[in-house]
Amino acid sequence: MTGALYSWGLLVVLGSAVIGFTALAVEKDDLHRLLLIDLVEIASIGIIALIGTDLAEALILPGLVVGIAELLALSQIYLMKEDLQDRPVRIPGIEVLQELPAPLILSMILIVYGIILSGFTGGAVAGLGAIFFIAARTRSEDLHLLELASGLSWVLWIAAFFVFMFLPEHWYLALMGAAVGILIKVITKMSLMGVMWETRS
Amino acid sequence: MIGAGGSPFLYLEFGDIVIYFSPYTLSLFLLALVFTVLVIASRPERQLDIAFGADAYTTKDIGLPEMRFRRFMAIACGLASMGAMVTGDVFDFCLFTSLVGICNVGIVAAVRSRHVQNAAFQYGLVALAGTVPLFGGAAIVAATTGTLSLIELSSTVLPAVPAVVKGFLVLGVMGEGMAPFYAAKAEMFRAPGAPYVIMCSLSSLLIFLRVIEVVLQV
Repeated sequence: MTGALYSWGLLVVLGSAVIGFTALAVEKDDLHRLLLIDLVEIASIGIIALIGTDLAEALILPGLVVGIAELLALSQIYLMKEDLQDRPVRIPGIEVLQELPAPLILSMILIVYGIILSGFTGGAVAGLGAIFFIAARTRSEDLHLLELASGLSWVLWIAAFFVFMFLPEHWYLALMGAAVGILIKVITKMSLMGVMWETRS
Repeated sequence: MIGAGGSPFLYLEFGDIVIYFSPYTLSLFLLALVFTVLVIASRPERQLDIAFGADAYTTKDIGLPEMRFRRFMAIACGLASMGAMVTGDVFDFCLFTSLVGICNVGIVAAVRSRHVQNAAFQYGLVALAGTVPLFGGAAIVAATTGTLSLIELSSTVLPAVPAVVKGFLVLGVMGEGMAPFYAAKAEMFRAPGAPYVIMCSLSSLLIFLRVIEVVLQV
């Protein structure tokens, strides 16, 4: 990114961070502050993204992961300190979720689009479709197949990296393996997240 | 290269991320290492509450699962501080520092006391807010100089990093560790179990000492 644009972008991001921090200082409710903190966190991702190089792209992911880890830890503490553990999780009463073919069609669209995108982003989109389908369904199913697929795709991903390191001439095979592996991994991981939560409570 | 902490005598290269040991970073690393070993070996102390007006006291007992979790968190905190002490990459330092922040919260989060959990939550909010200047500072360092390596940054060829950005880094570490500002941590220390709780303050002292070197070198 050119220098002048970078400075302006930095000004905008820092300005929004200041607005977020002001809201944080004014807000007194703990849950709202947790949500606002997440909003402020976006600003730090924004500052990294402003660099606009491959390096920035590589730096965003660990930054995001650390932020999410802290947020998850804090939400757990919040649940503990407010004694919110034994609340049953119910399907929200949204009309689209109640009609049978609607969630199926919507999640199919998301999954097909995710597979076309492939890689990490595609996995996230397709996983969202799977979560949507699971959220709409009322009976519970056996999850062992999903867990198995998640584990196997992880192995595929790692194996592809070994090919990259030790047999670089087969890089195309490794690239395809890693792409498919991470796609299935992210899909299953995201859908398991919602489902296991439901079965536990 | 002669950095702020003396000239390094050992480089470990992992791709473009170089870990280096100078007299300063090595002594901080050893301090973290020794304390982590102590945490692994020691048993938690039992906090005594003395009842006023009577000749009695009660002992707070710590269950095995709780102790296990807190010991794990303390060891993870020790490992994160060790990483933060020796890494030669600004962004890596930020990641390790925020990991120290998460572990600090985790050490006390398992305690089933409302006061302690409340304090841990507030401290966690500050730590999460601290990641904004921390990562923001690191990103602006990369934007102005084009590198994140502390070894390259210590050479005088590169353009100087604005003082505000150095301030950002220090502010971020203060948010994560809050070494000299125990306002939120004072309540956290009500948590029983001495060696683990002390890991909180030791790790924040260590990252605070390291950020001085980082800021001088950037």
